[in-house]
Amino acid sequence: MMLFILLALVVVTGGLVTILASNAVHAALGLVGTLLSLAILYVTLDAHFLAAVQVVVYAGAIMVLFLFVIMLLDAARPVSDPNPIPHVGEWAGGAAAVLSGALVLIVSTFRAPRPLEAAEAALRGGAPGPVGEVLFTRFLLPFEAVSILLLVAVVGSVALIRRPQVQDDPVLEEQSVGAGSSAPERGGEVSL
Amino acid sequence: MLEGVNTEYYVILSAILFALGLVGVLIRRTAVLVFLSVELMLNAANLALVAFARAWGDLIAQSAVFIVMTLAAAEVAVGLAIIVTIFRKRASTNVDGLAELRG
Repeated sequence: MMLFILLALVVVTGGLVTILASNAVHAALGLVGTLLSLAILYVTLDAHFLAAVQVVVYAGAIMVLFLFVIMLLDAARPVSDPNPIPHVGEWAGGAAAVLSGALVLIVSTFRAPRPLEAAEAALRGGAPGPVGEVLFTRFLLPFEAVSILLLVAVVGSVALIRRPQVQDDPVLEEQSVGAGSSAPERGGEVSL
Repeated sequence: MLEGVNTEYYVILSAILFALGLVGVLIRRTAVLVFLSVELMLNAANLALVAFARAWGDLIAQSAVFIVMTLAAAEVAVGLAIIVTIFRKRASTNVDGLAELRG
């Protein structure tokens, strides 16, 4: 219980940093803290494979992507001009209070379907083997669909990022390195 | 693992985390930070799923979390690509002015 309270405090603190920090890099690092302590919570919930995936995919790959884009776009600067929507903070706080109140009310009606010890034994530690068994037997179609979705996402993001104009001839580029390589395509926009 | 914290506590933590994500989506004005808050909400849902997986002693929910994580990765890849494209056009990712798709 002590460990849970400690981790819950870290999770909530990281979440608060994520939504309140004025510097976007700090927000991203707060989210990294939240994700890492969530991984430890997954271990306490007998989901060892998911804990590893959480650290590798979320805290690793996705957050690196986020930090990269934050620094690329100079999004670390806080937006300072007044918000066009009046009282947005109060509305958001009210919505959050209503939502979390409703969720806590629903949770209060929760009755454990079976004793925790028996349930934990059935999980087999959430090891990669048992989880993979479920994925490849009962969830085979969603698994394949997700793999196609990942392929589409990769192709789609490359297509989105691609510059629309025709690439210059690389041989001609080499001859005029320095003067010609960056100047023509910079029309007031950031070269990526 | 451990001496079994009740499932309710995990779900309440998940509710708090989801509410934090909701506040972030509503009050943040940079598109990247709105995305970070969406990640917070996805993780809240994942935490609830893992807690319920333990309560029922069934690995189906854990497999669902695996699929949610993959979807989140795809969503982040496409979303950040869109943000970069918007930034190239407008030199800003402030979501207040993004109304090009309004009918």
